[in-house]
Amino acid sequence: MSTKEECERIELLQGTLDLLILRTLLLGPAHGHAIAKAIEFNSEDVLQVEQGSLYPALHRLIQRRWISVEEGTSENNRRAKFYKLTPKGRRQLTLETRKWDKLAGAIARILRPREQEGE
Amino acid sequence: MMWRRKRMLEELDKDIREHIARETQDNIERGMSPEKAHYAAMRKFGNVTRVKEETREVWSVVWVEQILADIRLGLRMLLKSPGFAFVSILTLALGIGANTAVFSLVDCLVLRPLPIEHPERVVFLASSWKGGQASTAFSYADFREIGEQTPTIFSEMTAIRLYQADGVSRDRNSQPMLGSYVAGNFFDALGIKPALGRLILPSEGAITGADPVLVVSYSYWKSRFSGDPNIVGEKVTVNGLPVTVIGIAPEGFRGLSSLVDMQGYMPLAMAPTLKDAPADFLTARDAAYFVVIARLRPDIDMQQAQSALQVVAERLAQKRPKLAGILTIRAVHLGPAGLTINPGHPEMLPLISTLFLGLAASVLVLACMNIANLLLVRADSREREMATRSALGATRSRLIGHLLTESILLALLGGVGGVLLGLGASQALSSIPLHTSLPVVLDFRFDWRVFAYAFGVALLTGILVGVTPALRAARGDVNRILHEGGRTSTARDHRLRSALVVAQLGGSLMLLVVAGLFVRSLEHVQHSDLGFDPNGVLNVSLDPHEAGYDEQQAREFFRNLLQSARSLPGVQSASLAASVPMGYYDLGTALRIEGYQVPAVEREPYAAYNSVSPGYFETMRIHLLRGREFLDSDAENSPPVAIVSQAMADRYWHGMDPIGRNFSSDDEPNHSRQVVGVVKNIRAESFEAETSPFFYVPFAQSYQPVATLQVRTATAPETMVREVTGLIHSLEPVMPVFDVQPMTVALETVNGFLLFQFAAGLAACLGILGLVLAVVGVYGVISYAASQRTHEIGIRMALGAEPMQVLRMIFGQGFIIIVAGVLIGLVAAAGMARVLQNFLIGVRALDPITYSGASFLLGLVALAACYIPAFRAMRVDPMTALRHE
Repeated sequence: MSTKEECERIELLQGTLDLLILRTLLLGPAHGHAIAKAIEFNSEDVLQVEQGSLYPALHRLIQRRWISVEEGTSENNRRAKFYKLTPKGRRQLTLETRKWDKLAGAIARILRPREQEGE
Repeated sequence: MMWRRKRMLEELDKDIREHIARETQDNIERGMSPEKAHYAAMRKFGNVTRVKEETREVWSVVWVEQILADIRLGLRMLLKSPGFAFVSILTLALGIGANTAVFSLVDCLVLRPLPIEHPERVVFLASSWKGGQASTAFSYADFREIGEQTPTIFSEMTAIRLYQADGVSRDRNSQPMLGSYVAGNFFDALGIKPALGRLILPSEGAITGADPVLVVSYSYWKSRFSGDPNIVGEKVTVNGLPVTVIGIAPEGFRGLSSLVDMQGYMPLAMAPTLKDAPADFLTARDAAYFVVIARLRPDIDMQQAQSALQVVAERLAQKRPKLAGILTIRAVHLGPAGLTINPGHPEMLPLISTLFLGLAASVLVLACMNIANLLLVRADSREREMATRSALGATRSRLIGHLLTESILLALLGGVGGVLLGLGASQALSSIPLHTSLPVVLDFRFDWRVFAYAFGVALLTGILVGVTPALRAARGDVNRILHEGGRTSTARDHRLRSALVVAQLGGSLMLLVVAGLFVRSLEHVQHSDLGFDPNGVLNVSLDPHEAGYDEQQAREFFRNLLQSARSLPGVQSASLAASVPMGYYDLGTALRIEGYQVPAVEREPYAAYNSVSPGYFETMRIHLLRGREFLDSDAENSPPVAIVSQAMADRYWHGMDPIGRNFSSDDEPNHSRQVVGVVKNIRAESFEAETSPFFYVPFAQSYQPVATLQVRTATAPETMVREVTGLIHSLEPVMPVFDVQPMTVALETVNGFLLFQFAAGLAACLGILGLVLAVVGVYGVISYAASQRTHEIGIRMALGAEPMQVLRMIFGQGFIIIVAGVLIGLVAAAGMARVLQNFLIGVRALDPITYSGASFLLGLVALAACYIPAFRAMRVDPMTALRHE
């Protein structure tokens, strides 16, 4: 399946998975399998989701009312549950993205201080 | 929350299957064989069971499950040390039980509202004039006038003539009924609906004698008519006249007080027909027979009502020049105890309630200290367990939560036991014999308030008891404990435990002192000189009107009765009296005394009196000081005479000879009486009152429908009951008799010893409970301390210490604790002296005998508790003690 080495894959932190799901749903409603695929594809398979762990995360987001569920028909005419971003979830995504950028920036500065100074 | 959780989880299985199917499909499209594709999809998905578990967890309420787990664990821990659990639960049950029982009394007397519509808006009226006692009696004319002038204040106003004893006969069997005559709107005003039939209508009772109807109370219906529904519509006779029973009042409704059951209700205007009320009693302005009940309009507060009533009072006073400017009328909230206006001590009932609740709370605190002590000891031994759990990742709050759950569990179990004990106790309390024919109800039943109180107390107890040990145990330093593993008890712990026991002893001593004071107070009243001799006297009360007699027939009956009673063998003397000392009925009147100038600041002379037959002073052994007794010649039409008490002679004739002087009274405005004798003071109304003026009039000249036959017997009065009642029934087979009891028993009434007995008994129970708890505490701490020192004692003995020295050492430790406790207790008790003094008669709140007696008792018992561990320590075998370590 994946051509990458095991060690290069990053195990997802719980909060990160939430963030990725919200990000994926920003593009439109999707069913569980499609979300898993999208995350794998968009991260060029670096982020390896154990697909099952998606479900607790989805339910956590539903409980927080960041996403909602509706019945729908998928591309090949199969009935499926579609997950959809709520306005509350959209706000949360903006917030989390900003937080994430900050954190990523900070980590980057810690790891490559010289380059930062050089710029 | 729950339905959402269910809906969300319902299709999880299907979703997962769907997901795997899609992945499999993708894999097949990539060229895998179906079997391999499925396997790969499964592997990529991960552990299905765990995913389901984790998803379910998202929806589960974590803290509920944690608490459940804590409770399970707590129960397991308690089951593991059943001895500890049993002792703790029993101790707490005793403490909580005492509180619940006392609270059920307070609930009944002070808290539980009457079962009427919006009881908080119902008031009764009280009038008073400067210097005079407050009174709840109004004339019907005044009642009408007050009502007409306050329609914007009160939505309803009704009148009732309270507590008339009537004889009710059905099938020629006559029995007394405590009834009332009520205005037609009485039930409407209170918002009462009938249990059966109908109640009295507003249209009834306007015309004298027109509506011979009767409503009976639920419990009277149950007891007198055995709950027979056919009684409704049936005719019975009241005082010999036919009356129709029209309905049954609802269960639990006892009239205006929850303490006395009003058994029957009849329309006001029936009183002159059925009872001896004068024909003009609805019109005469001086005939103050009625209690006025009113319902405040919802938007009116008490303040507004009071000022409106004051305006009315001024207007009413204009019609009576004597009262102008000094008459006041006020509204008083109708509480569960009913019409209680006690101008001297208005807050007596709440005050004594608070006192006993406080005493019961102290008992519980003592119990808590025992448990806290036990938990502290256990916390020591469980420190290791806590440290291990903490090392395994339990957070501090989880550990505290767990320990608190344990102690709350303990307390709640104790609470259950306490409620059971409390039920038993209040059952016992409410079955105290009251020695009266009055339908007094002590309904100390457990309503939601009592249960809520018990639950609250138990919960609070659990938290209080558990919080210190829990915080301490959870604070423990994991590393140190796991490494040292050994003894962790420190001197500080021991000091804390000793301090608890000192406080316990102090609390216990305070309870003992209070109990002692109440007991001494009871002793005092029981041995005080009453002025008469209650021993050897039998009382039998009767009301010939209940058998349908009129006044002439009744007089004739009483004459015959006295004559034949005096000739009964074993009877030394016999007499009639309208009331008995400390009884529920008494007579009193305002006086005009010839030659006595009423000082400007004083209200007019007033005295209680009794109407008695010749032979009364001999029967009661009331000492005649001057003049003569009543004679048969003091008959209905002879010159009116009176005998006065020493106190009355001193008050109104200032040491001059009262014999031959005259006075008249409001009760008999038309003629005056000449004083023919002076007798010693007796205590007729209460023990506390200074003996106030009292006088006697001949029964023949002041006829009273209800009378008590009193006979002085040669043998014990109880043995004469059959002869005396037999005699009455030989004269009139259907004559109802009541309150058949020796005079000594008649003194144990609410007005007599009963409240003193009650208070003393309750205080004594609480005192003994406190003593037991304190002794258990002392024993526990001293024996624990001794066991902790077994090693040391072993060394001492091995080095040649004498057993007596060891004994002294342990004893010494106990002695210091006991002395400190006693000192604290004495201070605490003295601090309560001012409150206590309100309830004591004949004993000072700082009574040295009580204080020293209680200290001595506590000290002795506590030392005895120390003796057992000390004795055990003395017998320690040095070899065993040393090897054990």
